[in-house]
Amino acid sequence: MDTSPNEPSRRTLLSLATTAGLTATLGTLPAFTAFAAPARPAEVPLPADASRHRLWWQAPGDEGSLIEQGLPLGNGRIGALASNDPGRELLLITDATMWTGGLNDTLDKDGQFPYGRSDFGSFTLLARLTVDIPDHDLGAVSGYRRTLDLAQGLVTSSYVRSGVTYRREMYASHPDDVIVLHFTQSGGGRYTGTIQLTGTHGENPTAAESFEATLPNGLRYGAAVTARGSGGKVGVHGTRIDFSGCKDLTVVVGAGTNYAPDAEAGFRDASLDPERLARTKVRAAATESAGALRRTHVADYRALYGRFDLSLGASTDAQRELDTWERLHARTRDPEPDPELEAAYLQFGRYLMISGSRGSLPLNLQGLWLDGNDPDWMGDYHTDINIQMNYWMADRTGLGPCFDALTDYCLAQLPSWTDITRRLFNDPRNRYRNSSGENAGWTVAISTNPYGGGGWWWHPAGNAWLCTTLWEHYEYTGSREHLKKIYPLLKGACEFWAARLLATTLPGTSREVLVADSDWSPEHGPLDAKGITYAQELVWALFGNYCTAAAELRRDTGYADTIAALRRRLYLPRVSPTTGWLEEWMSPDNLGETTHRHLSPLVGLFPGDRIRPDGSTPSDIVAGATAVLTARGMESFGWANAWRSLCWARLKDADNAYQLFVNNLRPSTDGSNGTAFNLFDIYEVERGRGIFQIDANFGTPAAMVEMLLYSRPGHIELLPALPEAWAASGSIRGVAARGGFEVDLSWRDGRPTEARVHSVGGRTTTVAYGDVSRTLTLKPGAAVTLKDFAR
Amino acid sequence: MRSSSYSVLPARALRTVVVLALTAGVTAAVPAAQAETSTPPDAPATAAAVAAKPYLGWTSWTMQSSKYPGLNPKGDYSYLSEANVIKQTDAMAAKLKKYGYEYVNIDAGWWMDWSWKSQFDEYGRQKADPVRFPSGMKAVADRIHSKGLKAGIYLPVGLEKGAYNDGKNPIWNTDGCTTGDIVHDDLRTTNGWDSAYKIDFSNPCAQKYIDSQARMFADWGYDFLKLDGVGPGSFKDGDNYNNVADVAAWQKAIKTAGRPIHLELSWSLAYGHVADWKKYSNGWRIDTDVECYCNTLVTWENSVDDRWDDAPAWTDHAGPGGWNDLDSLNVGNGEMDGLTKAERQSYTTLWAIAKSPLFTGDDLTKLDSYGLKLLTDREVIAINQSSAPPAEPVTASDPQQVWSAKNPDGTYTVALFNLSDAPASVTANWPTLGFKGRASVRDVWNKENLGSHTDKITQALPAHGSRLFTVTPRGTNLSWTAYEAEAGTNTLGGNASVADCSACSDGRKVGNLYAGGKVTVNDVVVAKAGTYQIKVAYISGDSRSVLVSANGGGATSHKFASTGDWGTVNSVHVPVKLKAGANAITFDSGTGYAPDIDRIDVQKTP
Repeated sequence: MDTSPNEPSRRTLLSLATTAGLTATLGTLPAFTAFAAPARPAEVPLPADASRHRLWWQAPGDEGSLIEQGLPLGNGRIGALASNDPGRELLLITDATMWTGGLNDTLDKDGQFPYGRSDFGSFTLLARLTVDIPDHDLGAVSGYRRTLDLAQGLVTSSYVRSGVTYRREMYASHPDDVIVLHFTQSGGGRYTGTIQLTGTHGENPTAAESFEATLPNGLRYGAAVTARGSGGKVGVHGTRIDFSGCKDLTVVVGAGTNYAPDAEAGFRDASLDPERLARTKVRAAATESAGALRRTHVADYRALYGRFDLSLGASTDAQRELDTWERLHARTRDPEPDPELEAAYLQFGRYLMISGSRGSLPLNLQGLWLDGNDPDWMGDYHTDINIQMNYWMADRTGLGPCFDALTDYCLAQLPSWTDITRRLFNDPRNRYRNSSGENAGWTVAISTNPYGGGGWWWHPAGNAWLCTTLWEHYEYTGSREHLKKIYPLLKGACEFWAARLLATTLPGTSREVLVADSDWSPEHGPLDAKGITYAQELVWALFGNYCTAAAELRRDTGYADTIAALRRRLYLPRVSPTTGWLEEWMSPDNLGETTHRHLSPLVGLFPGDRIRPDGSTPSDIVAGATAVLTARGMESFGWANAWRSLCWARLKDADNAYQLFVNNLRPSTDGSNGTAFNLFDIYEVERGRGIFQIDANFGTPAAMVEMLLYSRPGHIELLPALPEAWAASGSIRGVAARGGFEVDLSWRDGRPTEARVHSVGGRTTTVAYGDVSRTLTLKPGAAVTLKDFAR
Repeated sequence: MRSSSYSVLPARALRTVVVLALTAGVTAAVPAAQAETSTPPDAPATAAAVAAKPYLGWTSWTMQSSKYPGLNPKGDYSYLSEANVIKQTDAMAAKLKKYGYEYVNIDAGWWMDWSWKSQFDEYGRQKADPVRFPSGMKAVADRIHSKGLKAGIYLPVGLEKGAYNDGKNPIWNTDGCTTGDIVHDDLRTTNGWDSAYKIDFSNPCAQKYIDSQARMFADWGYDFLKLDGVGPGSFKDGDNYNNVADVAAWQKAIKTAGRPIHLELSWSLAYGHVADWKKYSNGWRIDTDVECYCNTLVTWENSVDDRWDDAPAWTDHAGPGGWNDLDSLNVGNGEMDGLTKAERQSYTTLWAIAKSPLFTGDDLTKLDSYGLKLLTDREVIAINQSSAPPAEPVTASDPQQVWSAKNPDGTYTVALFNLSDAPASVTANWPTLGFKGRASVRDVWNKENLGSHTDKITQALPAHGSRLFTVTPRGTNLSWTAYEAEAGTNTLGGNASVADCSACSDGRKVGNLYAGGKVTVNDVVVAKAGTYQIKVAYISGDSRSVLVSANGGGATSHKFASTGDWGTVNSVHVPVKLKAGANAITFDSGTGYAPDIDRIDVQKTP
């Protein structure tokens, strides 16, 4: 291996600056707020291989199937699904904070949380925008085409009507904080039609250009629209905007709520008038030219999108000729890989994250994309895998800045989570209460909302899993600022577990261990099992992370010693002599569903790091983990397949890891598990009814990266599970590695050809490929390029 | 023979209501004889051969059958009245006549009062209800003729129970025949509602009874008769419901009635008797009622969309003198029809290209502008009326499907359909039409020439939407290589077996493709890799799906339309991705039942 140290690259410095800037901004501003006009950059050049970053279709979506056929837009806070129907553009719009419900602190008779749309609450739609162009009915146009340009964050559609080519482009701009629709044509055409912006909660429309209303929980929300055309007329008529004879048309939409991430203020900004703010924003944007708005958006978007790139090899011309939906079918039907489609699937996940996780609440079960007011499972935050999975790919794919929404959410909720835990967790009706009677710190329910409230059942280990997720972001970035922010969360979770752990003597031995009190291993098996592997592993990781954090920040030394001592006494799972599996419960028997979707007993394999197939973990534990994973099977829901794929990647089984990815690419038909027309992952809740659940759209890309690069602090492994399908040649750029590094990696014929390792704060790491390993020492900001792995 | 193994449909349940009403009519007193004319009627205004082309017109039944508010204020089916028929006649003359619409067809009930009690003359013939039709049926026909249109009337098949009168009613213009002479001693019943006694044509009096009815209609001036409840069909099977003799008697009676009368048969006629229907009638309803018997005239699912599956088997049997009748075309008013614009266009497109009669059941006084456009598109009507054969599917009957017919001038009529509930793109590949290379495309509905397209055209279609093209080939012919399914070099799996098949090429096929039965056609050699539209010749008495795959790759399920029975071969194309050199193409029944496979045809290059 060759080592050639380099000076820090300009790009790395820039990205560090960007990260710090965003973090500082997000920490202080409420979600929907006024800010100064953004800088107007010059044109940003397209990447050379732009077509690889373009998804395209030959049919629009309609209102009845928008969740599968609508194309998503988002600026990190407001999002929309767009139909792109020539005769009737429809946008279903919402804001990440558009939530019913509230604190929800009156427990049900069983000591658990109510889980309804008025008590716990639900994510819901905010507005609906239609642009009707009656003369452009889909039945009357030809050559329809629709594109999602992942590299620029643009949704376009085009068609021909009577010899005129009409083109429509739309995006949600983060800098201008509005959604922009731009209608153009070439060939002497004109646009005539109607624009309507309405609510979806029975609001009485009184004006064409904006509306405001208040949800029963007191949340104020509002939206505004303005339109500008050239060569024709645009005018307000009652509750609609009419346009006629326009050569082109620009429609600008803004929306928001008066939510504030502040428990003390009841999660409201009393001074915020959402309708007025939306009007201000759309008017400000409308004074800019369509070109300036577009440039501003593209430059902003590309700053994030361009932090990472991926090539898995070249597709054939025949594959490139197919539209995205046909390509998904072909990939399922034919044995040949479609490397460009597969890479684009990952980039689509990045598009969703850039569009869905910036400056507001984090990504929930559906991100910012709804087709109705009442999403399944409330579109909430599920803390027993789903919200964590949403963020597994953030750092891995160069989107560390998008992670901050999760951190900020947890911090804003912490006062309320702590209060509710103290008041309600030891309620005598709660089967999960601490039998010791002690109570401290905080935990969560399986579902959480943005108002400090929980829903469904208590989820004691949820605090640990949130903390280990937040911790990993620290491992990737090495950001002390982040560490300081999350420290109170870590400490509070440790306090909770210090009060909860029970001492028990293992049967037939004199060994005393600490086990978690009665709990439910998600989401199957006995409801009241002590020492479930899920909790033991997560608490073991939490305690370790906390001790490292305390040492790093030089805080609470005594308490960290206490936690370290508890950690040494924690029971860790053994392999069942009966099943040969790593035990999920402290029982040799299989007490749950063999092929259950959750992989809770493997939380120490992934995302945890305790179980490693590198000789450092007893081989029977690795074999037991492999046996559980094998038994769970290869066919499950999208997110469950993604988790399986990540575990197989950790076990360096490229074939299984890749096959699970391919399984997730399967086109969803009639609601079956798989990928919808618009690439949303569909979860089949019952035969014939599938719903959108976004976690697989993020978990699957995380698995793809995990096949190419494994890292933990101090250790990086190249191509740990490179599938045959991608082996011929490829490259990945901008992958974060735990320990504070970033890696650019190229390979050919299944072997690395070059790996460039940048330090973003890390100092020492080994870099391994197969049996070859090298230790690097770098100053923060420095980089090295490694070659000649074949030897 | 095709059995009436339909599941219970809403339409059928509603038909039951009619049965009860008709049965109640039996107890009605036979009214006094009407004044009769025995003078042969005038010759019709036009002397064109009956049903030389699919007819165009209007039927009263659609609005009679609907629960749409206000249509039937005097009870079920009460839309039918003299005033409404005249109103529709005038509207047709004013709006549709110039496009070729001709027939004004009075449906069931003209001889029944508002409570659906039937009335008969002294000869056991249906007699106009004096409240519904105060001027009598002849006056109405005269009124229709005065507008330059033709008049249609309706009867159920058999001797209606109310006409029997203990067998004592004399048969008109006979020497001593009575209704008792023309039925079986056991008074066995017939027709789709069992509302009539089966007529025994071994007694010469029976023909005389039919003659008397035909003569009555001719005397009144009717040009068209819908004979309803005819079996086998009309959800009935078995000897009692075999009305072939009735239909033959009607044809014979019409010949001597003194006036050409178009004889149309209804409903869901048995495919197994298609030769009889062709021999004795001018059209036959291939399916159940298109009407939904609900708050609109029709709905997409009940039962407009059934036609895409049911029409293909019948295609080859339509032609001058007799046509496949897909039932009424209710596209004239979106709100009343209960259909989207896209559905209305698809409905019209299928009816036009399948060469179904184009008769609407809409309120012609309330056609909306889009409905009028659909019903009066001269290019579409010309496609329906042309001498080209009816179109049939050239692809599998999947949610996205393509139909085509080759026109005498060498062009093709091509329709793209998207039957799924969401928008989708649909592609017509030229090889499925019979050529490859370039072709110019005209969008018929949109009156737009779409220019030259190579190898295929793809368009975005709305949910339940369609496109109608005239495609002018400018490319080259195809050369196919045939591979027999039963060839000894192929591989059979599961229950699959070779069977004789007189209609098949080389006289054999592979059948028993069910529950895992499969056939792999080996050594299919092509020059280069690509997606091929292979032509599959198959036999299937009902609509069935098959999993098609190549070289052990993933399979795609395709639905093949019924060929009508297990002795008829049809062909459709399915896409298969092949590699250069030898390929193996598998047809697998999976867990269900697949069609029998006769052979496949594959091109050398895609």
